[in-house]
Amino acid sequence: MRFCRVRSVAEAVDELSRWGTEGRILAGGTDVMPQYLRDEQSPAALIDISGIDGLQGISEVGGVTSVGALVTLRRLATASLIAMRHPALAQAAAAVGGWQTQTVATLGGNVCSGAPWADTVPALLIADAQMMLVSKSGRRRMNLGEFLEGAGATALRPTELLRAVELEPVGDRSAEGYVKVGRRSAMDLAAVGLALRLSLTPTGVVSDIRIAVCGGTRSPHRVPSVESAVVGSQLDDGRLDWAAAGAELASAAAPERTEAARYRRQVLPGLLSRLADRCVAGIPGECG
Amino acid sequence: MPGTADEQSVSVRVMVNDRAHQLDVDAGEVLLGTLRDRLGLTGPKEACGEGECGACTVLVDGGPVASCILAAGSTNGRVVRTVEGLAGTDELTTLQQAFVRHAAVQCGYCTPGVLMVLTALLDDVPEPTETDVRRALAGNICRCTGYQQIVEAALEAAGTVQS
Ligand code: FES
Ligand code: FES
Repeated sequence: MRFCRVRSVAEAVDELSRWGTEGRILAGGTDVMPQYLRDEQSPAALIDISGIDGLQGISEVGGVTSVGALVTLRRLATASLIAMRHPALAQAAAAVGGWQTQTVATLGGNVCSGAPWADTVPALLIADAQMMLVSKSGRRRMNLGEFLEGAGATALRPTELLRAVELEPVGDRSAEGYVKVGRRSAMDLAAVGLALRLSLTPTGVVSDIRIAVCGGTRSPHRVPSVESAVVGSQLDDGRLDWAAAGAELASAAAPERTEAARYRRQVLPGLLSRLADRCVAGIPGECG
Repeated sequence: MPGTADEQSVSVRVMVNDRAHQLDVDAGEVLLGTLRDRLGLTGPKEACGEGECGACTVLVDGGPVASCILAAGSTNGRVVRTVEGLAGTDELTTLQQAFVRHAAVQCGYCTPGVLMVLTALLDDVPEPTETDVRRALAGNICRCTGYQQIVEAALEAAGTVQS
């Protein structure tokens, strides 16, 4: 095996086109190295992109947040711009593994792993994330929902690199959050994770709601059937009855006939109403 | 020794406990192997070897990492600190002294990793709460102490509680 250290995006896409499916991108390595050490992966080359400065930035341009692929989970969990504009993402990043993992694990790695339990992905889905991809033949952008192609699979081509993720920040009369349940309170993969972004009109009507889940057997995904059922609802005394939405969420997000899915069906309604109440309380105004 | 025949090596310049090193490491070598087998720094321990237990924790550019799954090649240009780099020649750090006072060390296998995480915490958060300490320790498994003495030692070292 070769170790190819690259310093720029141009060098990275050169190496990627040279090695194709034989190369493996190394960023934080918290997935790649354990897989290599367990002999589950034996690439001909590790392409170490961790030193590319251009992929480390968090910025805000024209109302869009851009997060470089190499931004670590620790930075997402602690950066003030993320805490203000993407609190669900900050909470999701803080929920991945322990501090040791968050120090080196990157946003790009969490998304490109294609893992069904990737905590940051629901938080990105509710921000309508766009994947900014680059290869030797040029650039393309892709909606995250289309990028995810099932457990462990994404639309990322072997010769392609994720540069950044572009996000729509949470608006003025909106709030969002992420909650997760695992077998223990830290250092565990999500059995189920839920991200919610809720927007209210000044009179307390739900003007927009975005719900995304992770932790099943397929890719993290939005749940449009629940979103369309809730949008337009009127808050009553600052509250919404989430029972019907919770039941729909459980059957839409965990339809499988397995015990694991049964568990997810049991916890999802409670997670939804807890998170929704937290969001409502976070939105200023007569009804918040 | 790290390395197998079909692995090519890569050159790494890395600062470890304030000493600069220029090393040729194997492509699939992890930092823990470099530290223990090449540099003789056996403070960081291997337990799970999979990034789950924290026994191998060292600081890289000030942040705690599991050195058992960190590619040595990717530490080029970085600053590494191990438990050996905490104390001066004959004086323990405040945190280490608190560990001694509180009997926060039993078998000691987890201790080098725990000390590194808590050192990073005290650098980051001058007055940590008990919740901060427990959260920081989420990635460190200790099978002996039940964590209570470790938490008390950390809080005392931070000056959050009186000894
Ligand atoms: S030995 Fe590295 S985390 Fe367990
Ligand atoms: S003191 Fe024995 S594992 Fe912590």
